[in-house]
Amino acid sequence: MNNFDRMLSSEDVMRRRASFLQRIHVDGPLLVILLTLAAGSLFVLYSASGKNWDLLLKQATSFGIGLVSMFVIAQLEPRFMARWVPLAYLAGVLLLVVVDVMGHNAMGATRWINIPGVIRFQPSEFMKIIMPATIAWYLSKRTLPPHLKHVAISLVLIGVPFILIVRQPDLGTALLILASGAFVLFMGGLRWRWIISVLTAAVPVAVAMWFFVMHDYQKQRVLTFLDPESDPLGTGWNIIQSKAAIGSGGVFGKGWLLGTQSHLDFLPESHTDFIIAVLGEEFGLVGICLLLIVYLLLIGRGLMITAQAQTLFGKLLAGSLTMTFFVYVFVNIGMVSGLLPVVGVPLPFISYGGTSLVTLLSAFGVLMSIHTHRKWIAQV
Amino acid sequence: LEPSIFFDEVNERQGVFHRRALLLGGFAGLGLTALAGRLAELQLAETQRYKLLSNSNQFNYRLQPPPRGRILDRNGVEIASNRPDFRLLVLRDQVADVDQTLERVSELTPMTDDRRRALKREIAQTPRFAPVAIANDLSWDEFSRINVRTPELPGVQAQMGEVRFYPFGGAFAHVIGYVSKISAEELKKAGPNPEPLLLHPGFRIGKQGVEKALDIDLRGRPGANKVEVDAVGRVVREDPAGDVAAKAGKDVVLTLDADIQNRALEVFGEESGAAVMMDIRTGDLLCLSSAPSFDANRFVTGVQPADYRALAQYERKPLLDKALSGLYPPGSTFKTMTALAALEAGIDPNATVSCGGGMFFGGRVFHCWRHGGHGPQTMHDAIKNSCDVYFYQRALQIGPDRIAAVAKAFGLGQTFDIGVSGQKAGIVPSTQWKKQYYKKSPANQKWFPGESLSYGIGQGALQVNALQLCVMTARLANAKKALHPRLIKSVGGVERPPGNIGEDLPFPVEHIELVRAGMQAVANDVTGTAYRNSQMNLGPIMMAGKTGSAQVRSFDRVKSRKNTGLPWALKDHALFVAFAPADDPRIAVSVMVENGESGSGVAAPVVRQVMDAWLLDENGRLKPEFAPATVTQESPL
Repeated sequence: MNNFDRMLSSEDVMRRRASFLQRIHVDGPLLVILLTLAAGSLFVLYSASGKNWDLLLKQATSFGIGLVSMFVIAQLEPRFMARWVPLAYLAGVLLLVVVDVMGHNAMGATRWINIPGVIRFQPSEFMKIIMPATIAWYLSKRTLPPHLKHVAISLVLIGVPFILIVRQPDLGTALLILASGAFVLFMGGLRWRWIISVLTAAVPVAVAMWFFVMHDYQKQRVLTFLDPESDPLGTGWNIIQSKAAIGSGGVFGKGWLLGTQSHLDFLPESHTDFIIAVLGEEFGLVGICLLLIVYLLLIGRGLMITAQAQTLFGKLLAGSLTMTFFVYVFVNIGMVSGLLPVVGVPLPFISYGGTSLVTLLSAFGVLMSIHTHRKWIAQV
Repeated sequence: LEPSIFFDEVNERQGVFHRRALLLGGFAGLGLTALAGRLAELQLAETQRYKLLSNSNQFNYRLQPPPRGRILDRNGVEIASNRPDFRLLVLRDQVADVDQTLERVSELTPMTDDRRRALKREIAQTPRFAPVAIANDLSWDEFSRINVRTPELPGVQAQMGEVRFYPFGGAFAHVIGYVSKISAEELKKAGPNPEPLLLHPGFRIGKQGVEKALDIDLRGRPGANKVEVDAVGRVVREDPAGDVAAKAGKDVVLTLDADIQNRALEVFGEESGAAVMMDIRTGDLLCLSSAPSFDANRFVTGVQPADYRALAQYERKPLLDKALSGLYPPGSTFKTMTALAALEAGIDPNATVSCGGGMFFGGRVFHCWRHGGHGPQTMHDAIKNSCDVYFYQRALQIGPDRIAAVAKAFGLGQTFDIGVSGQKAGIVPSTQWKKQYYKKSPANQKWFPGESLSYGIGQGALQVNALQLCVMTARLANAKKALHPRLIKSVGGVERPPGNIGEDLPFPVEHIELVRAGMQAVANDVTGTAYRNSQMNLGPIMMAGKTGSAQVRSFDRVKSRKNTGLPWALKDHALFVAFAPADDPRIAVSVMVENGESGSGVAAPVVRQVMDAWLLDENGRLKPEFAPATVTQESPL
């Protein structure tokens, strides 16, 4: 049976007709996984927030908004997106400049655009999608593997928002954005020689960053990471307490709402960045493994979409978004479990926080768009 | 061929892309596996360690001070116990603004500005983790009112504790001392890491007397309440199952008798002095009283500076324990010692000395207290009449060293191990003592015979305390054993050795009996110096004693020995030592009334009343154990 025959088989026709979800450009498996995460998130959040219904309601609302946003974005054709990406990139950079010049203060950092009564958001959040999209758009128009010139231009495109976000200062987000761009370059076929030379050069750059760029609190985070017990009541407190929370959970955990570390306020930011510690304490290794499996399924589905994407732009963007999502998960859990330094990265879909949720769901909207706007023609 | 090349290129590109995507997928899978591994490490391999950490976070032990051991009298009457105390603590590390907190507390329980200033200073000086009591002795009303409001007052804790209580107020203040807040010096002595109990706001340390000497025994071992706390240390829940019970301090039983002790202080009234009573068979101290006294309860909660000044500056020195540390010349009570020394030196007790009212010696006249003189006196007469001239004569004959030997054998000039500190040894002069005393000025080292004269009647350099006088009397009454006084009967049920197990007195009983007969006559011969005030009116029960008045003014230089018209502080000290019953002694008493003027007139009545407290029951009848074995008239025979 050749492809042409297959294409015309009645079975396929039947299936395409039956798939209502595909017609409204929603990917079923992704939706199921995301809704599972949403339900789990609210469950854990109820405990982590100290049974705070208001907070739960807000998070549910954010979920709703995120799902709508995802649904809307999924309707856009990838080609349409590619057309508007350069403009979105310019707008994003402009907003970052605005934030830099006159942003509002939150937690000692300038990250927000606030039009009172209308909207309040972080431009850097949207760069998380726009960044990989921009590089994917740029590279998809060049021959691959990319020439040095195109790599250099890509790096400039990544570098401008990166520096603006580092200046906010928000090193965590800046690094994520850097990674999302780098993933596109890597999948585009960036030569190993260059990768290795850049990694080699990274060491002196890191040293220079330490001395000239990094803020004291960032340096402190690195030092604390290297030896959390050195300052058990100050910056090391978070890590010691989160490890105690996770470790004391054991295999099956202490039970829902019964985690002492979080309920007695030993665990800081228990409903935001450190929520995995609550999960680990109350549901044990079993709960954490379940979550990791769900994440693995999500990443697997993302990579499957990447593999099946028909346009280069789609492939690069889907791959980068999926991998960035993985980095999110890895950095957050790595930080809470003491593998990585403390950087302010929320646990995707579980941590409390509206902006991050909307961004993530939007990113999965992009994936759905890429997947559901495929042309049903045979691969050549 | 163009398309084919193009396709190759596309295929080549696809190939690179898929390899890289696969690589990234593998990378992601590896990353998630690494995370799972890390979490499994925390939750499987290290879970015990983190469970411990989490538990120690969650649970805290709140120190619970032990109840302090009680102090009981010989009959089990509580003379130091504990009563409940409602107090308010402030935990400094949980208080954001001390001023504001004190302000709000003062709305609930009134607080003077002085007090608030003192508290602020105290809070600033206390280690951060140690709570500070900001209000003590709250009424139940105040306590419950504040207890309800504590949620609005972070760092303020209403607590029920115990506080030391002395039911008899001042009667035992000098003997048992008192407890009070630990001082900075005492804390320093405890080393760099003091027991947490010492820092507890409810903790009181013994400052004087028995409370100080037996502080460790009385203190007990603290317990702990297991409580669940949150990250800022607020108690969320109590966990009584995890409590560690406090171990109460040991009870201390004293040999004292609360009735007698109380009576002694009562009898002294406004007078100043000391009364000591001893069981002459066991050496048990039944009374060890110093007057005037002070209310020890006021020191427990912290005496006000003004009150303390008033006590410290009062002429009659209520803070001084006159029974142990007040030194006075024994006056004529010492004639018993001189008499014994004379007997030891071989002087015939029946040999008379003629008293003409004075004795000329060394270029001046040594007067007898009786202006007209006593005429010829045997030793018995001399004791009964307290004739000074007889004892001038005898002291001169035998010299100071023989007198000193007897005085020392009877317990004068020494301290006894009664378990509390604060005794002063006093001085029993001898030629050797004088050499020692004037080590730096050889010219003064020689003993002048004139000194022997005043020594003989208990004056001069001689200084003793009331306890020593009582021991002296008890040894005279016992006649055989060198009794030692015992104050602490038992600690935590463990008996302390009694005072009658020591060595014997190195004197023949006949000699001591001669002296005792003299003392019997002092009290019961109608011509005895204390006859009128020594009658007990208790039928066959009589006392034997010896009066004394010790001059405050320099003995040598006064023209007249009369006290009339003198200011209080210059009048003679009045002394009386006695034992009873005279024929079968059971107790010995010594009483010293500071500036009391007359031994027989002032001190003897005190002795009599203190003895009454021992002999009589609450209805004023003779206790059955003292009732003479008489045959009732209704006897069928």
